[in-house]
Amino acid sequence: MLAVARDALRVERRGELVAVQWQAMASPCELLVATRDLDLARRLGEVAAGEAWRIEHKYSRYRDDSVIGALNHSNGVPVAVDPETMLLLQFAARCHELSDGAFDITSGVLRRAWRFDGGARMPDAVQIEALRTRIGFDRLRFEESALIVPPGMELDFGGIGKEYAVDCALALVLREFDGAMLVNFGGDIAANHQPDSGPWKVGVERPDAHGAARLLLDFGRGGLATSGDTHRFFEHGGKRYGHILDVRSGYPVEGAPRSVTVAAACCLEAGMMATLAMLQGAGAEEFLAAQGVPNWCLR
Amino acid sequence: MQLKPKPAAGNLRAGLMAATCALLAPSVKAQGVSGADEFDNASVDTGLLYYQEDKGRVRSIDAIVKLSHDFGDERTLTATGSVDSLTGGSPNGAVAQLSPQTFTTPSGSSLVATPRPRGEDDDEHGKLYTIAPGDQPLDPSFRDLRVAGDLTWSQPLGIGNKLSANGHLSVEHDFQSASTSLMFSRDFNSKNTTLGVGVSGELDVIKPIGGVPVAGSDYTLFQKSDGTENKHVLGAQLGVTQVLARNWIAQLNFSVDSSSGYLNDPYKLVSNVDVNGVTQQYLFESRPGSRQRRSVWLGNKLALGNSVLDLSLRYGTDDWGIDSQTVEAHYRMRVGGSMYLEPHLRWYKQGAADFYRMYLTGADAATSDKSADPRLGAFTAKTIGVKLGVPLASGGEVGVRLEAYQQDPKTHTSALAGLAGLDLNPRLRAVMLQLDWKFGF
Repeated sequence: MLAVARDALRVERRGELVAVQWQAMASPCELLVATRDLDLARRLGEVAAGEAWRIEHKYSRYRDDSVIGALNHSNGVPVAVDPETMLLLQFAARCHELSDGAFDITSGVLRRAWRFDGGARMPDAVQIEALRTRIGFDRLRFEESALIVPPGMELDFGGIGKEYAVDCALALVLREFDGAMLVNFGGDIAANHQPDSGPWKVGVERPDAHGAARLLLDFGRGGLATSGDTHRFFEHGGKRYGHILDVRSGYPVEGAPRSVTVAAACCLEAGMMATLAMLQGAGAEEFLAAQGVPNWCLR
Repeated sequence: MQLKPKPAAGNLRAGLMAATCALLAPSVKAQGVSGADEFDNASVDTGLLYYQEDKGRVRSIDAIVKLSHDFGDERTLTATGSVDSLTGGSPNGAVAQLSPQTFTTPSGSSLVATPRPRGEDDDEHGKLYTIAPGDQPLDPSFRDLRVAGDLTWSQPLGIGNKLSANGHLSVEHDFQSASTSLMFSRDFNSKNTTLGVGVSGELDVIKPIGGVPVAGSDYTLFQKSDGTENKHVLGAQLGVTQVLARNWIAQLNFSVDSSSGYLNDPYKLVSNVDVNGVTQQYLFESRPGSRQRRSVWLGNKLALGNSVLDLSLRYGTDDWGIDSQTVEAHYRMRVGGSMYLEPHLRWYKQGAADFYRMYLTGADAATSDKSADPRLGAFTAKTIGVKLGVPLASGGEVGVRLEAYQQDPKTHTSALAGLAGLDLNPRLRAVMLQLDWKFGF
């Protein structure tokens, strides 16, 4: 485990809780602990932050020395994959299958055509068709403990990494302390159980037409995640394109809600359910209703 | 260019949960974090049902409250309570005549009008009622309040197994029923197949108003005994649920049950008519002391675009000779945002029990089993309805359902001179209005 710089953590008392905050995965991260013991909370915060930074480091697509970096630059040569990564790849494979191909961790290259920065540039169809030839989870080749990524293709754990980190961080701090705790990495949340004083009060940022609408929830335990296009959209010809791309077409999903918040047993499941709902576009609400998961959609 | 978003099968959640568990099992699962979330861990369903038959027959108003609580880890407790108020007239089994017919309500012991002391409640000694010529005899005293409660507990039993236990109590002033059931199910084949077995038992206690009539005896003799009668039912069920395609799930159920004890309706009569169709005698009905029923049910849920089709077929048979077929369809479609409209069609056909007669004639009056209860006769029934559901922002839902029901008896005329031109088994029509309100907290 990486050494954690103590000054990277902010510890503060908040009523009956202690909040430990840090930055990771381009998001504000937080661990809430139902304790009055500041030192205990700081220790737990170091564990959680360490796990967040470990996963960020290991799976960042911006680092050449990350697992993803190595795979994306392998140029078709088999790369040995550790057990944790293999489990994540198997999870991604299952999600690809469950979504009928709509969720695909090889779709990252499409971002080169689509820049979701609020601007109004529309990529041309030729560019998208060219990029589509570099996409397809089915084209990855799995060997016993190695993976072959065909040249030109790239992997991106962006759709699952943060939620996975939330669940892992909570599992780790639970080894040290059995009181109520809540892990929040930029709105992706998991908690073991609620404090004695009552449910966690969770404010979820949800984009709306004017800025941010906060969804205030009472939260007991389990996972909570939001998929949405807060600022990540662009407009072209008066049409607003969200950041959720349907890899099967190469174009953004049309008619998706601005944001989908889902509660489930753990953060990863909630996050994937929210993403899969987004991929349904106009059918997001109905999809979620059919799945029977608690959800909050904003259009 | 845009691909049409495809509807996902209902089992996607199960698949995703399984995948998540596989990934997090070494860390999270071992720490006990997994389990159901605490959102909407309790919910309340309330419903109000109004049912009205035509021609002054039964009317019922039923209020239902259902409470569900999710204790996490797939352990749920569901409690249902209902209060059902019934009023109106119910066929007493006697056949229509060209002359007036006089009966007494069940608490009576004479067909002769006797003056009563002032202030005495008529109902305690029965009230005479007279049926106009040509009319189906209806006992107008049908009035009851039924209070029922139901408790169901479900929990996993090891990995992939589920156990569900249910208890049910229902109380009316002349009828009490207690039943219990135990269901066990097991998932196979990545949760694509579920096998279920169940057993159930029921005990009914019948304490007829005015006493228990001697089955098959002459109505005018009022041969009744005080006390109660019992009925027992034992049943078993075997079912398999299979995901057949991404948007198609099917279930096949086999059920058997065996009833024994007092299976009569103590208030039902059978007319014994002469060769001209003129009633000579009324007999209390008499049914066999046991009944074995078997049924097979095939249910399908199909996601079609934004709509869901629920189509089921049922075939039932029993040793009373009643064979029945049911075809039922619900089609749920989205209208205007998140609301949905759900048309409902049901078609039902049953044959008559071997001992069913609209009336007895000299020849078959001696048979031991006899009943003129229209529910044991041959008929077809159709239901057509529609429900509008409006999901609420809070996660709850309000719904309104309107249905019409029509039951057409197969035989309703007679060739006997004294019964010619009479509708002996009139068509039954009913309307149903249901309001639902569901909310979680």
